[in-house]
Amino acid sequence: MSNLPEYKLTRTFNAPREMVWRAWTDPDLLHRWYGPNIETVIHQFDLRPGGSWLNEMKMGDKSDFSKMVFQEVVPVERLVWHHSSADAGWNVISNPMMPDWPRMLLTTVIFEDMGDKTNVHLSQLPIEATDAEIACFAAAMAGMDHGWGGGYAIMDELFVELQAGD
Amino acid sequence: MLAFLYNHNVMEQSSYIKSQPNLDAIFAALADPTRRAILSRLVEGQACVNEIAAPFEMSQPAISRHLKVLERAGLIERNIDEQRRPARLKAENMAVAVDWLEEFKAFWGSRFDQLDDVLFNMKLAHKKETGDE
Repeated sequence: MSNLPEYKLTRTFNAPREMVWRAWTDPDLLHRWYGPNIETVIHQFDLRPGGSWLNEMKMGDKSDFSKMVFQEVVPVERLVWHHSSADAGWNVISNPMMPDWPRMLLTTVIFEDMGDKTNVHLSQLPIEATDAEIACFAAAMAGMDHGWGGGYAIMDELFVELQAGD
Repeated sequence: MLAFLYNHNVMEQSSYIKSQPNLDAIFAALADPTRRAILSRLVEGQACVNEIAAPFEMSQPAISRHLKVLERAGLIERNIDEQRRPARLKAENMAVAVDWLEEFKAFWGSRFDQLDDVLFNMKLAHKKETGDE
């Protein structure tokens, strides 16, 4: 488990832990930030291990569906869920454009009490993944950490060149 | 992922996607530092194998193998008409991969920005309540 590629993000929020927990676990508050500037419909939010969070983000007549199944619910401290893309019938699907992207990401959110502030630690790693999915996620994470810094620099130079060429 | 979905739809409509190689192959190709260096070299213009190999401590056959990986991923193309078979960058495919990664990277970050706002409003509401008491 320990050598799987992992995505990590930590952020400090200027609010006490109970409040941050509420913003994550009350669907009326959750939908306000989870789909920024997009109509987000939470079809189901069953906050207990084995319960589902069925999320739809609408854009025109297109929708992006995701299905989260809670694994651990430790009030104010810890949330763990399996995160997947889904079709309109809430069946877990792989990404049509990138079949090797992991179908399921084990998502862990830890809420760390800092008095009137809260540190939120989020991590995602592939679960029940094929070797190809793990390799794909590893390549993407390698790109996030130290660049394809290269990749972005190449793009930048190229755009300058293309524009200059016009 | 939604902006990505949108891009995907737009590309589908414009049939851009038909000419598009596998993103998995692009990720795998970009994961190697030598291949990224080769791409950087090709930004300066097309080059043939011995020109590309010059700065590396690597044989031309080894460089050729890297070029094949890049070519299969659709990140470069090689002119078959010319004997020297110069390699040229095809940046539009890389743009798709970079977009994908940007989208993934932005997903939680942009949500956390929104969460900041929601928490700010919750605190305001809380202050008002306790102030009234």
